[in-house]
Amino acid sequence: MRILVCVIFFLLPLFSNGQDDLFDLLDGNDELPYVSYLFKGTKVVNSQSVELPAPGVLQFNIQHRFGPLSSGFYNLYGLDFSQVRLSFDYGIEDWLATSIGRSSSLKIIDANAKIRLTRQVQEGFPFTIVLNSAAYLKQWQYGQKETEDFVFTNQLAYTNQILVARKINRNLTLQLSPTMLHYNLVEINNESNDKFSLAIGGRQKLSQRISLNVEYFYQLNDKRNNNVLSLGFDIETGGHVFQLHLSNSPAMIDSEFITQTTGEWLKGDIYFGFNISRVFTLHD
Amino acid sequence: MGNNGEISFFSEAPMEDIAAVNKKVSAVFDAGTKDLVFRLKITDFVFPKALMQEHFNENYLESDVYPTSTFVGKVLANKDGGTTVKGDLKIHGKTNQIIVEGSLIRKKDLVNIYADFAINLEDYNISIPKIVMYKIAEKIDIKVNIELKEIK
Repeated sequence: MRILVCVIFFLLPLFSNGQDDLFDLLDGNDELPYVSYLFKGTKVVNSQSVELPAPGVLQFNIQHRFGPLSSGFYNLYGLDFSQVRLSFDYGIEDWLATSIGRSSSLKIIDANAKIRLTRQVQEGFPFTIVLNSAAYLKQWQYGQKETEDFVFTNQLAYTNQILVARKINRNLTLQLSPTMLHYNLVEINNESNDKFSLAIGGRQKLSQRISLNVEYFYQLNDKRNNNVLSLGFDIETGGHVFQLHLSNSPAMIDSEFITQTTGEWLKGDIYFGFNISRVFTLHD
Repeated sequence: MGNNGEISFFSEAPMEDIAAVNKKVSAVFDAGTKDLVFRLKITDFVFPKALMQEHFNENYLESDVYPTSTFVGKVLANKDGGTTVKGDLKIHGKTNQIIVEGSLIRKKDLVNIYADFAINLEDYNISIPKIVMYKIAEKIDIKVNIELKEIK
């Protein structure tokens, strides 16, 4: 047996000296690696990030937002008011994910789809690009539907976004998100139904498990409402991700916080909120 | 030489077992010099849960900084039923000398290599924070299974 194995298995003069040469044999079949994990979560703070849940993974999110800091001690600086959004995110394919959610006080049901078009490649294509499309339906009560001016389509709004992100280094990711919102019903006569805004966001890892996330939405065509600045910390503890937020908007869905924000940071309209998400692997 | 060997690891933990397999392990054995080398990409380890895979790459193995793991060794003895290999195992940028008992069996123009051994995470600077919900064992069992084909 020993003699058998001692039979020269291969002996090319080219690689006959040294173990480094053996490694050379292994080279040449390396594909370029994708850059992964640009963000810890599927959101930057309130808006969508370029991350999708992995295929077969169901992510359950419980989101809380409180009232404004400016509401004073009588309301415990906003903690007396709270609203909730419950949502499920699901990864269908590596490049396709969808989610459905509902916001409590707004009584809006939302659904979205994210499609990843390209991925950042090491020493290759510089960006991960994802399309995000969402629809929002405001719920109504039985009595409202009987009134003459009730039109179903008036309860709808839509978001379309192109999310372009780049992981600059292992800690810093930046994302640019041109956003278009369409409201089937607007509040005043000559108000545009389409609203455009541009977001810049990013995350900076502070440690292996904690990151600071920031996003800023700038209103491009309709300046009646405020720009939105949100800060958040993502804290990862194994199966859960905790996210702590401060924003000048209390809403958790694009159609409400991006272009409908009236709060101002400098006036103390700062809303605290937190998210808890848990993932379940439904199938491999 | 082989390019699709399997290296898997397993760790029993109270909350959930941690296991992953890498099916793209490459290895070369030089029967003349008895040199044996292995190489794998950390990102090729596939976990049953995507989140575990993310933590493995992002938090523990830091595959963006240390993308590959290698073994460079020599076959010391190869008797019926057992083979001893000694060499340097490099994981997470840290190299340790290990001695592994396994088997190296030649059949015609193929060589099959099996091994089963354990490593300590501490030896490779892989730290496990206390806040992690699923506790991870300090010792990880590793299984190696690769078939090499003769090259000319």
